[in-house]
Amino acid sequence: MDRKRVAGPELSVAPLIEYPVDHKRWTPQQEKRHDSKRQPEDMRPIYLKTGLIGQASGSAYIELEKTKLACGVYGPKPVKRIGQTFSGRGLLTCEIKFATFSCAKRRNQMRDPQEKELSQILTQALSPAIRLDLLPKSAIEVYITVLESDGLGSCFSAAITAASVALAHAGIEMLDLVAGCSASYIQTGPARSISSGAESIPPQIFMDADLEEEKYEQGSIVLAYMPSLNEVTHVLQSGKAEGSIISQSVEHCVEACNKIYAVMHHALLESVKENQTQL
Amino acid sequence: MTSVADAVVPGQRLGHVQEYIAGAGTYALQDFLYASVVGLKQISRTSDNELPTMTVQRENSQSAIPEIEAIVTCKVVRVNPRFASVNIMVVDGKPCKDDFQGIIRVQDVRATEKDKVKIYNSFRPGDIVRAQVISLGDARSYYLSTAANELGVIFGTSVAGGSLVPISWQEMQCTKTKVIELRKCAKPMQ
Amino acid sequence: MTALESTSPSLAATSPAFTFSASTFQKLHPTEFFRKFASQGVRPDGRLLNAFRPTTVHYGVITTANGSAMVRIGGTTVVCGVKAEVAEPKLHTPDHGYFVPNVDLSPICSGAFRPGPPSAQAQVVSESIDRVLKESKVLDLKDLCIEEGKAVWALWVDVVCVSYDGNIYDAALTAVMAALANVRIRKPTYDEGVVKVSGAEDMNDDNSFKLKLARTPLSATFALFDTSLTVLADPNDSEESICDGSISVTLDEHGQLCAVSKVGAGSSSQSLLKQCIDRTRERATELRAIMSQQQQ
Repeated sequence: MDRKRVAGPELSVAPLIEYPVDHKRWTPQQEKRHDSKRQPEDMRPIYLKTGLIGQASGSAYIELEKTKLACGVYGPKPVKRIGQTFSGRGLLTCEIKFATFSCAKRRNQMRDPQEKELSQILTQALSPAIRLDLLPKSAIEVYITVLESDGLGSCFSAAITAASVALAHAGIEMLDLVAGCSASYIQTGPARSISSGAESIPPQIFMDADLEEEKYEQGSIVLAYMPSLNEVTHVLQSGKAEGSIISQSVEHCVEACNKIYAVMHHALLESVKENQTQL
Repeated sequence: MTSVADAVVPGQRLGHVQEYIAGAGTYALQDFLYASVVGLKQISRTSDNELPTMTVQRENSQSAIPEIEAIVTCKVVRVNPRFASVNIMVVDGKPCKDDFQGIIRVQDVRATEKDKVKIYNSFRPGDIVRAQVISLGDARSYYLSTAANELGVIFGTSVAGGSLVPISWQEMQCTKTKVIELRKCAKPMQ
Repeated sequence: MTALESTSPSLAATSPAFTFSASTFQKLHPTEFFRKFASQGVRPDGRLLNAFRPTTVHYGVITTANGSAMVRIGGTTVVCGVKAEVAEPKLHTPDHGYFVPNVDLSPICSGAFRPGPPSAQAQVVSESIDRVLKESKVLDLKDLCIEEGKAVWALWVDVVCVSYDGNIYDAALTAVMAALANVRIRKPTYDEGVVKVSGAEDMNDDNSFKLKLARTPLSATFALFDTSLTVLADPNDSEESICDGSISVTLDEHGQLCAVSKVGAGSSSQSLLKQCIDRTRERATELRAIMSQQQQ
């Protein structure tokens, strides 16, 4: 029982949603994407802005249609952890928090294991790009609040993109920006099976899948990539897929990351312009 | 001569290592020079036979962190016979968002007659001190020194609550009660 | 050493021999820095003492919530999302739904907040919003009944602070009221222990309902500087940290008081309290205009 919050009922569930018989839901067989505007290789349009959080050293806000999240960077600041030994390198910590209303099902206010896992992956994806060796005895803290999530993979890749823009906005020395991109493998036709031996088609790669599309995915990939150094900092592949599909999706993601880089570049130049006009 | 056209972001390629020397805000990797912060690039030439230096002027300055030889302004929080503990609040004229911890050890208070120094006759809690970073110190604190004329207490409050004015390099006088208290004073910089 | 901006009053008097830049002086002597401004009748951010910061309200920003709103007061940004879920009613109130407001001050919005359970400040704000809404009977909890004794709606009202710059109570209360006005819940059917809603089309007046709000309380907060000699409307973060106490006045649309709270040191005379209530009346009218302007 949580005594530090206003208490509600111990158990509450989302109501059961009933669809009429004639209701047509989206299925991947239709060969079209869920929002019917995009091609399989298209991402959603990205809105990215820096400097939303006044108290933070650097901040960024990113929106991919319904997916919305904010990122704040604090530091470099003194390390306040007990038992900390002298360190010649800076310490990077990341924390992702989903707002309780961000998903279809209400999330708990407590930190759940999924958030913890994503936070760790984010730390791993960002730390190769930051010049931590220039920040002895200091800590950098990256906080992300997901306001609305429309697809976990895209939400997580948006978090990587936003975090690296916020770090650059904070004036922290970096080797390169890190762009994040996600893709899902979705079977749009009959699946290949050994027993039937029938004609089959390989799964389709859908870039930046939304929540409805993710429900049909066989597997997914999240890639973090440094566009100008042409280096991958993190790959997270899950689910079943053939090697050729994976290497193909990595190529697609790298291509998409280069497009995202243009958006990140633009957002940071905008912040420079704003500073210039203020002077 | 800066314009938005010179604005760069981290990772942007600035030139070849044979053309420029990597200055602040840039780094060299293999054959090329890249930017490491968001800002405006500048090329400065020091002498004719040297390569020009490429620097990137930081746009959104990173919150200040203490570096060796930096002049810091700090507030005394604790004293004991061996050292004074301080909170570093300003580094090289830039306020820190979060205070860093530092200590001024008894042997670093002044340059001469180090064995005669008593911490309590040099600093009191609440004093604002100007000091220099001499080492990154231990896991927690930076080591600071006030062993120079222009370093030491720059602002203090007397026991009576009045503000103190320096009357010599080791004495300060309360403006209210005219009582003289001992401090390691900083010589005002003109 | 460094020239001060033309807007700031003279800051040279701290110590005869040392001069600082304005930002350094603010860091070293925040109270003294502020007093220099207050004596001239202005504040460091350029506002007059009784001026509020620009405020915006946006409705329906979160599509995964039943109702939502984003409120900005100066540098403070909060997002409120309302989620309606089905729960079992309490035994002694079989036809009452639940209304659960919570404010989250996470470390993203300010360096002063640490990760982990809610801070004392977050608990105080959550609790005062809960009290104001329950005691002024904004919502009839019987409206949230689905099947008496079996199932009721639980309204989870969560406020997330994205950017903190003081006056969280006003921002959170405004966001909660705006989000509640924005709530739409699909009409439920109860069938042998299962609550179903239709997922057919977009929500309209036939298949969904809005909440009936008896009143809309809105608030204004004033900080007391130098033992209440100076009253600052809508304090920002740096002002809150140097002030001794604050007064919050909450009013509904008929001008009736819903709550008045005064915290911290500094005495407040009757005339001061009256002055605050009068200023709140003006502010609440402005705020209502902003809210209705944005509402679709």
